[in-house]
Parts: sequence; C-alpha cells; structure tokens
Amino acid sequence: MNTLIKMVASVSILAFAPTQVLAQEDTLTEAPSPNGSVKLSGDVMAVKVIADDTGAERTELVKPDLIVPGDRLVFGTDYANEGAEAVTDFVVTNPLPSAVRLASDADAGLTVSVDDGASWGMLSSLSITEDDGSVRSATHADVTHVRWTIASIAPGASGRLEYPAIIR
Amino acid sequence: MNTHTIIRHLAIGSAVALCAIASPAFADGVDAGTLIENTATATFDAGDGPQTIESNTVVVRVDELLDVTVTSLDAGAIGATPGEAVLTFEVTNTGNGPEAFTLTPNTAVAGNDFEVLVESIAVDTNGNGVYDPGVDEILTAPQALEPLAADEAVTVFVIVTVPDSVTDGQQTNVELIAEAATGTGAPGDTFAGQGVDGGDAIVGTTGASATATGAIQVGLTSVDLTKSASIVDPFGGESAVPGSIVTFTIVAEVSGSGSVSDLVVADIIPDGTTYVTGSLALDGNPLTDAAGDDAGEASDADGIAVDLGSVSAPATQSISFNVTID
Repeated sequence: MNTLIKMVASVSILAFAPTQVLAQEDTLTEAPSPNGSVKLSGDVMAVKVIADDTGAERTELVKPDLIVPGDRLVFGTDYANEGAEAVTDFVVTNPLPSAVRLASDADAGLTVSVDDGASWGMLSSLSITEDDGSVRSATHADVTHVRWTIASIAPGASGRLEYPAIIR
Repeated sequence: MNTHTIIRHLAIGSAVALCAIASPAFADGVDAGTLIENTATATFDAGDGPQTIESNTVVVRVDELLDVTVTSLDAGAIGATPGEAVLTFEVTNTGNGPEAFTLTPNTAVAGNDFEVLVESIAVDTNGNGVYDPGVDEILTAPQALEPLAADEAVTVFVIVTVPDSVTDGQQTNVELIAEAATGTGAPGDTFAGQGVDGGDAIVGTTGASATATGAIQVGLTSVDLTKSASIVDPFGGESAVPGSIVTFTIVAEVSGSGSVSDLVVADIIPDGTTYVTGSLALDGNPLTDAAGDDAGEASDADGIAVDLGSVSAPATQSISFNVTID
C-alpha cells in the first residue's frame, strides 16, 4: 500500500477547467496498478441504433459523443493480472452514477445492492422499504452498486466486466 | 482513440463519496450538463493480504435535449365580440436544460371565418392565470421568452382584436408556435457546442418546436322590443273611450349567441291615460309597483321599468301593464 499514488488534485479538474471534461472524450488511460500486479481500466460506450440505407436497424457501440436522457450506455472495466502470482478473491465493486439506472436487460444473475452497498444479492432477491413502512420488490432503477466476484485470476489472465445503463 | 484523459486517483475510501454527483432533477430526465462519472474498485489477494485498487474514472456529460410543448388553456372556443380578446396558452420546456423560446402567433389558419389582429403577447408575470394589463409583461418583438428551466412551464397570453365586421357565430383559430432559440429541426439534429456548458444540443422528439391552437367564437347578441296593445272598453267592446282599459305588452327578445347584462325595459304612461296600480307583470307573474322589492317598479309619473338583469340568448320575456283612458 505504500506505493499507492494519491493525486488528490484531480478534483479541481472539474471545478476549474470544466472544458476538459468533454462528453466526446472517453477516458481510457489506465490507472497505474499500485502493486504492479493487477490493472483495472474503465471505459464507457454509448449504444446507438443506426439505420442503414435499407432502413434496417442495428445497434452499435459508439463513443459517447452525444448523449441525452433515455440513451443507453455500457460501462466496462477491463482487468488484467500482470503479476507472476495468481490473484484470489477478486471482487470488483462499481457504484452506479446517480444519473443512470441499471438497464432492465442487465444480467439477472448480477450481484447488486440497492442500499449503497450495505447488502448484496441478485436483484430478484432484494426489496425496498418505503418511507411509509411498506415493502416492495427492488427494481433496476433502485440499484446503487453492481459487484462481480472472481475466485482466482491466473498470472497473465485478463477479462472484462460490463453493465448496461440507461440515462435517467 | 481520441483520449483527453481524466485520471482521478484519490485516496481509496473516498471513491464512493466522490462518485456522488450533485443530485440532478430526475423528474423528466437528468439535466443537461450533468457529469456521469463511473469508477470501479477491486479488492483481491495476491498472496500477501487483501489489497484494493481503483480504476480510472470515466466521465461523460449529458447533452442538452431541445424539446417544447404548447397547450391551449382555454376550455374550447372563447366567446368574443368586436374588440379585445385574450387567448391563453402554456409553454413548457420539456427538454433537460435551460432554453429560451421564440413565440410566433399565426392568425391565418385555414378555415378561419375571419382574421384577428394580434396586439401583443404577454407573460403571466404574476402567475394568476388571468391577463392583467399593466402587470403582466408584454413581450417585445422578436417575442422570446426568458429561458425556462428544464420542465418549467409558463402561461402566455395572446391578445388580439376582433374586427368590427364579424357576424354572430363566426369562428377563428389562432395558433401559437414556440421554437427553441438554439434551433429546431428533425429529431436527432444537433447543434454542436450550443448546449449547456459548451456541450452539444440535440433536437428531441418534438422537433424543438410546438404549436397549439386557440379558438374564438363571435357571440353577438341583439335585443328586440315589440310593443302591442289591446283595449277593453266599459261596454265589453274594444273601443278607445274614457274608461277603457288598455293592456300594453312589451316582448323583449334576446337573440344571437352571447348574453346581455343589465337589461332594463322601461316605458312611459301615455298622456291622457292613468296607470292601473298593481297591473305590472313579467311573463304573466305580477310585480309590485314599489321599487327595490322585485325586478319591477311602476308609477303614473315615472312609468314602468323592469330590470331583467343578465339574459343569455336566446330568450324571450314578456312585460305587461294596464292603463285606463282618462
């Protein structure tokens, strides 16, 4: 942990130079892996329906140049074990940005939380207690976090984790 | 890949808190300019105990959706007579960012029986839903609303003049067109860099333009009075001789499609005759001669008067009274 790089100044990027945060720029530069063994790299793509000359529609992953409420995004995280040792108990936790909701066609087996990470499970097993005390089943819009657990990553192995989201 | 990198390395543990963005209005889509930031965190064991690492943060900004609706707030056609008439509309910014809208009235709608003249467009400044001259702000040309926040609605009045040449029952429609000041077009058309915070603006499903129609129906009302007399002489005949009783009947006919207010029917007692006390009647029902206790009053000196008040057309009312020939 003593090699952890702390660049707290990054907060001020938003505050003082907002033009640097353009929607057109997906940010793929990797975070240096603190221990040199595992690397996490996040990215985001927009899902656009594109009609070809014949009028047939297909979906395509495009850079999120232009996104508005209702649009679909795919958040991805690439991981790679670049060390010489196997990595175990690998758990990736991803809080959902508050401006999006989990898409309803997300993997039903995905482990999610609807209470800011306090409890976890498949969405179908979770419930929400309303202010008036009534309890209802949790929906995709209630999801606050998603989580993936990988028991072991062999040296040199890598993979990708994704979740689809809709802009609220 | 076109990378303009934002790397945000922060002390682990504060990551969750930093992901929380200012809570935008979710009522009708997140606000334009909202930053969507996503960061994943991984914990694992590489043989020497649990470790935590964090991914880079990806940031996308929500662009501005240009959408607008206009609705007529009038319940059907408003009744009008030659002169001023006021049509009421509501303009709503259904986009997700602050946007100004230009307003254009159109009086030349196909099928109109006549055309009105637009005097002005006013904003319901005091929010009471009724046009208050001198209070509600009159928009000056080009008529543009101050920017409305996302989901904000404003009531707008179109003040028109109905020409003198109209006839009863004629109708006309007035359209109010609201267009996003940034621009209009087909859904999906974009205006690069013209959205909130330098983001793009994109035309939404409404085409960033909306039209509503208000209707005016001319309600002209006329009042016709028809007076007739019948005579009964003391001998059972119909001669006008001293002592004969003359019954005057005044039929007030209110025609057209509007209404009249403060309708008072009055008549004098002819020279050489004397009012028969207690003979005044409205639609066959007796009225007293005294003033103030009912709609009628009558006296030999001042004649008769019946206050019919407000009468909606069509209506017919009959007033009768008797005199004796001196």
